[in-house]
Amino acid sequence: MTTLARAPTATATVSGPWRVRRAGGSGPVMGAAALVAVVLLAMMPVLVSEADTTLLVNFFVLLTMAVMWNLLAGYAGMVSIGQQAFVGLGGYGVLVLALNGFNPVAAIPVAAVICAVIALPVSVLLFRLGGGYFAIATWVVADTAQLVISSITSLGGGTGHPVPGLSSMSPHTFAETTYWAALAVVVISLGLAYGLLRSPLGLLMAAVRDDEVSARSAGARVKATRRIVYVVAALGCGAAGAILAVSQLQVQPSSIFGIQWAAEMIFVSMIGGMGTLEGPILGTIIFFVLQQNLAQQGAWYLIIFGGVAVVVAIWTPRGLWGAVRQRTGIELFPVGYRLQGGAPRSEPGAQLLEGEPPPPNGPATGLGMLWHRLRS
Amino acid sequence: MALLELEEVTKHYGQLLVIDQVSFSIDEGALVGMVGPNGAGKTTLFGIVSGDVRPDAGRVVFDGVILNRLDPAARCRLGIGRTYQVPRPFGGMTVLENVLMAAQQGGRLRGRESHQAAAAVLERTGLVRVANRPAETLGLLERKRLEVARALATRPRLLLLDEVAGGLTDPEVAELLGVVRDVRTEGVAIIWIEHVVRALMDAVDRLVCLAGGRLVADGAPVAVLADPAVREVYLGTDVAVNAEAHQ
Repeated sequence: MTTLARAPTATATVSGPWRVRRAGGSGPVMGAAALVAVVLLAMMPVLVSEADTTLLVNFFVLLTMAVMWNLLAGYAGMVSIGQQAFVGLGGYGVLVLALNGFNPVAAIPVAAVICAVIALPVSVLLFRLGGGYFAIATWVVADTAQLVISSITSLGGGTGHPVPGLSSMSPHTFAETTYWAALAVVVISLGLAYGLLRSPLGLLMAAVRDDEVSARSAGARVKATRRIVYVVAALGCGAAGAILAVSQLQVQPSSIFGIQWAAEMIFVSMIGGMGTLEGPILGTIIFFVLQQNLAQQGAWYLIIFGGVAVVVAIWTPRGLWGAVRQRTGIELFPVGYRLQGGAPRSEPGAQLLEGEPPPPNGPATGLGMLWHRLRS
Repeated sequence: MALLELEEVTKHYGQLLVIDQVSFSIDEGALVGMVGPNGAGKTTLFGIVSGDVRPDAGRVVFDGVILNRLDPAARCRLGIGRTYQVPRPFGGMTVLENVLMAAQQGGRLRGRESHQAAAAVLERTGLVRVANRPAETLGLLERKRLEVARALATRPRLLLLDEVAGGLTDPEVAELLGVVRDVRTEGVAIIWIEHVVRALMDAVDRLVCLAGGRLVADGAPVAVLADPAVREVYLGTDVAVNAEAHQ
């Protein structure tokens, strides 16, 4: 048997004047802006009322979930309608740890990691299924988790259980602590997602989403890629659930395992724009603006949400951020690559590469992709 | 030593026998053409080599490694690159990103090395102009080029080309031939399925003919096309005419 060391074959030639540039030449500027934003947000408890920080905590929780759902569906093509499984398990993770004497706030990262660990064997089962079957199976997993937790009487069964260890804090300290914990979770989630997308895993995820078969033939380890994304999404949703447990001072199965979490993550990602990191941020902002202004309207508020989703899906299938990006080329979190040339050798004048501005590294359409995924 | 060996490979789809005890071997750096009528099993044979199709019986050996239990990704990382007859680009990614992903995964390159490799492949396959376009916006010809580019980016030692010249004009075929010959000079073995037999005749030094899942001829291109068994398979098609033209 000869050695498997590869001869420097097909690609060994010099690349000529063409160079691959990482998108995001404005890196330091954007980095500074992000830092300022985070510092400003961190000062919020001093600047605004407690009611507003509570609202922001809910905003961060939903944004964390949306970032994770967007990683799963928008980038890796795994349409899950069962991420609430990990929201619930994250919440109950905090409860169990707190009942055993842990500080509930310190329990947040531990609960998130527990969710990631649980996600591993779950992924083995789920990945046997594809498309719509996968989506339904994720929901089954979430309902199963809820039923199992509801049957544990020491955790309060179906009526839930208050989270101990928080009453010693003053209301003010509690509000601040919860806020900062939620902010930390969302910042880490966004950073993690951005880091993943800029790593080789970003291209790998998108390739697996677009064509699993040819991705494999190009050397992609499809299952391993999906597993990493699934585990990361469980980690993020678990952290969001853990924050919920702390901020609401109690966990209750039908609420924390509720399908409304899945609905909200999907709504927010779709109107904002799947397959972009900015999309879920914009989508979550829109969601909260609508919710704040329409909460008094009763059932109308859900009808208007539905209407917004339909209009966005028809009018701008790449989501609102997708539309902004197409018109302006603005990217807050650039993850793509560009081929740039020096002086062209053969063509007269400057040769323009086609395809400016860069397309979003995302599916053709949010709804269309969703449909395609569910059918395949 | 042979780079690739197929030993008594057999494949059924249900009741239908598509590959019937096919054995052959490919030497390092060889350029072998594969012809045969529709349904002869050519693409299935590629699938068996690349790992997309599991054979019912027989062994596939690449560089001394038995491939049967390896998935397509592992085979690609060992050095088998393939294209698809109906192109399968990563539509939501740019052309550059398609190729870059292949260089990073199959080619196991990282960072700047993968960037340089991707740029070189794009230049070589004439895709520089469309490099920053989403692959889903490409026309058929550019999609076919992208198939070749992506396979090359995985740094193969064996390249499986599945009808990459179909639908191309003569000058385009000539250009493609240039790329294929060029790749071959670097020691890459190539198996090339093509219906445009003229393109093959000019390029390959060995031709195999598959019909009904069996290997019916194997040898020098002119001899294979003159073979009565091959002529019977192709009776009435322009292949027979071409064979005569070459004699």
